[in-house]
Amino acid sequence: MKAVIYHAFSHKEAKEHDVQELGTQRAEAFVRAFLKRSIPHLSQQDCESHLQRKAVVLEYFTRQKPKQQKKKSRGLSAKQRRDMRLFDINPEQQRYSLFLPLHELWKQYIRDLCHGLKPDTQPQMIQAKLLKADLHGAIISVTKSKCPSYVGVTGILLQETKHVFKIITQEDRLKVIPKLNCVFTIEIDGFISYIYGSKFQLRSSERSAKKFKVKGTIDL
Amino acid sequence: MATLRRLREAPRHLMVCEKSNFGHEKSRHKHLVETHYHNYRVSFLVPECGMLSKELKNLVMEIGPYYSVKNLPLHELVTHEFIHTFVKKGSFSALTYNTSIDEDNTAALLPNGKLILSLNKDTYEETGLQGHPSRYSGRKTMKFIVSIDLVDLSANLDSKKYERVSWSFKEKNPLKFDFLLAWHHTGAEESTMMSYFSKYQIQEHQPKVSLSTVRELQCPVLQSSSLAGEPEEACSALELFDWLGAVFCHADLDNQPYNFISTYRCPQPSTVVAQACLCTVTGFILPEKINVLLEQLCHYFDEPKLAPWLTLSVQGFADSPVSWRENEHGFQKGGEHLYNFVIFSNQDYWLQMAVGANDDCPP
Repeated sequence: MKAVIYHAFSHKEAKEHDVQELGTQRAEAFVRAFLKRSIPHLSQQDCESHLQRKAVVLEYFTRQKPKQQKKKSRGLSAKQRRDMRLFDINPEQQRYSLFLPLHELWKQYIRDLCHGLKPDTQPQMIQAKLLKADLHGAIISVTKSKCPSYVGVTGILLQETKHVFKIITQEDRLKVIPKLNCVFTIEIDGFISYIYGSKFQLRSSERSAKKFKVKGTIDL
Repeated sequence: MATLRRLREAPRHLMVCEKSNFGHEKSRHKHLVETHYHNYRVSFLVPECGMLSKELKNLVMEIGPYYSVKNLPLHELVTHEFIHTFVKKGSFSALTYNTSIDEDNTAALLPNGKLILSLNKDTYEETGLQGHPSRYSGRKTMKFIVSIDLVDLSANLDSKKYERVSWSFKEKNPLKFDFLLAWHHTGAEESTMMSYFSKYQIQEHQPKVSLSTVRELQCPVLQSSSLAGEPEEACSALELFDWLGAVFCHADLDNQPYNFISTYRCPQPSTVVAQACLCTVTGFILPEKINVLLEQLCHYFDEPKLAPWLTLSVQGFADSPVSWRENEHGFQKGGEHLYNFVIFSNQDYWLQMAVGANDDCPP
């Protein structure tokens, strides 16, 4: 390598340029001594490595893209939802007469769903449709319950959550009835259906997609 | 194995024996007789007596009729008119007929104005009236007791309680039963009962009376002061109870080795009595009449008689929902609840009260 960059002067070149030619050995020794005297704090080793011009590899950097923070929409917790009071009904609006049109709408909806409720329609078909139908606005009543004070509560269904029905009775009272261990009755145009609340513990939105299996007893 | 052992065990029964004197001011005999509401059979045994006295015979014959109705709906028992006419004047007793206490729904109206319903689980859940589970149900409650105070209800007819009870009996779950009715009234309104329930095929019945004389009966010797009996001188109350049962069954009391039916022996010491009078009245008998009978039997010893003692036994209905006062009664293997008076010539008495398995201890 050195030979590529440096080569010694020939005799003739040396005489021309008036340069005293030193032998290689003597030149090296001279350079070394000179370095040592001028840079005293560097050790012998370091001088040598400087002279040799070694490149030292420190670290390997690749160009990194900034990590994308996935924005997950966590939604609100139940407490926050309750505080927002989206689903509460004001006491001024809790009047039974206000919800009767809703009941009429619901009856219409069910009639459309079953393609017209004639007296000779099959009860099985109506049951199957009712399983997936939305029940908001139906007049629902409790026929059987493990707790005797719930029995007989009748009214229009305002809200259905996972475990509970919210009903407004004719005396304008909002009643919250848990679904578990209760049997509800829905009556539409002469067809009476019983809903076993213990098997119905689903949000109304999920119920339309769920396949119901026969499991356990219907005994309360 | 455990089931077999359990089936072979005799069901648990309780007997309470007490002794007292009729003249004693704290004697409970009247109260206990009055609070045992549904009485099926009354029998008394008088040793050394060939024929009953005329007063006793008249009393027994006129113990009063009882009535039966068919398909009486429960809401009839809750109407204001009914409560006012019958319950408030005198003591009205009703009991459902032909229902088993541990299988079906049973209803009973007690003379103090309480309507007790003993309902199955499904009926209770449909009726919607507040009640409590029965004490003899085990882990899965199958029976519920609902108690409605009619006198309290009639005090204010507009109360929510009354409306709820009427709604439940009329619309929600109309229950109908065949009833046995009896009314002890202080006026002379005999016919109102028949006319009031004329829609329900009301029938009047007289209690069945059977008189018989038993000859050569072995009677145990008793001493009124010791319930437990002296070893060689008198028999205990328990032995007397067993002996009385054997007499009522007309069993042989000799312990003959070849007797297949009974090997019972009369407890010693015993005497042989030439004749004894046995009288049985069967029907739906009011406790007031039993009180009167008891009084008359006490007066039997006013004149000196040969008999040292006499007995009066009363048995209750096996299917009644209550035994004494409002203690719950169940059937299990033999729904007995009965009491027995042994009356001595010096106005002392022994009282034995026995109940079966699904019962509370008698008071």
